[in-house]
Amino acid sequence: MLTATKKGLFADDAVFISSQSDKEAVIREVYQKLLDRGYVKGDFIEHILERENKYPTGIDTSPISKDLPNVAIPHTEGEFVNTRMIVPIELTHPIKFNNMIEPDKELDVKFLFMILNNDPEGQANILAQIMDFLNSTPVDQLTKLFNLKSTNEIYEFMADHFKQD
Amino acid sequence: MARQIKLVAACGAGVNSSHQIKDAVEAEMKKRGHNVKCDAVMIKDVNEDLLNDYDAYLTIAKTDLAFTPKIPVVEAGPILYRIPAMAQPVYDEVEKICKKIEAE
Repeated sequence: MLTATKKGLFADDAVFISSQSDKEAVIREVYQKLLDRGYVKGDFIEHILERENKYPTGIDTSPISKDLPNVAIPHTEGEFVNTRMIVPIELTHPIKFNNMIEPDKELDVKFLFMILNNDPEGQANILAQIMDFLNSTPVDQLTKLFNLKSTNEIYEFMADHFKQD
Repeated sequence: MARQIKLVAACGAGVNSSHQIKDAVEAEMKKRGHNVKCDAVMIKDVNEDLLNDYDAYLTIAKTDLAFTPKIPVVEAGPILYRIPAMAQPVYDEVEKICKKIEAE
């Protein structure tokens, strides 16, 4: 963690591109790396998976733009994480997540903004900031982000474009 | 000022969505002249006893509760998009509840 470069809610060693083909596999893959880097606790994995199954986090982006792929915001309670940040995860292949607002509906999801938040009361709401980012960034720019080829490019994009409070 | 109206918003982790709804509804109802306080909780903590302390329950999703709440239930998920046209019907529904209570 000492060598990580950070800007606002992002760290360059907490950005991922995953070629997994289901949501549990991608969350497990990312969890292991976040654990190694000290961002989450050991029991994070069981809780985030349980939440995702019971209270899914897929977001249908069609109200923002019909041309925008869907995203998801997997997260769990603050007691299982050690920080307050957003972990961007690009999915090489779209993965099915259930819709947060209509849990019985499935969505093809292309990009995850995993939220680690051990201080929900403290500052500007992270989910609101993510939605503002999706609403205010032009669709062609977001499409570019969702298809970048390296985690470093994703980090740079988020550090440059995500409005920080 | 009329008595404070107490709302409760719930989501899976009680961290992000419920707090966003709490912040948005409190701000909008204040703007509309209502005295509203909203708590944010985890869905698993929502039961009949808890809801007895509130005037309305704001949900993210059509989540099945094991009981039928006696207080009004508002599906507040569209607020999360931060798109005014999507949020407005939800705010209007909450305001209707506020006005009804204030008239009592």
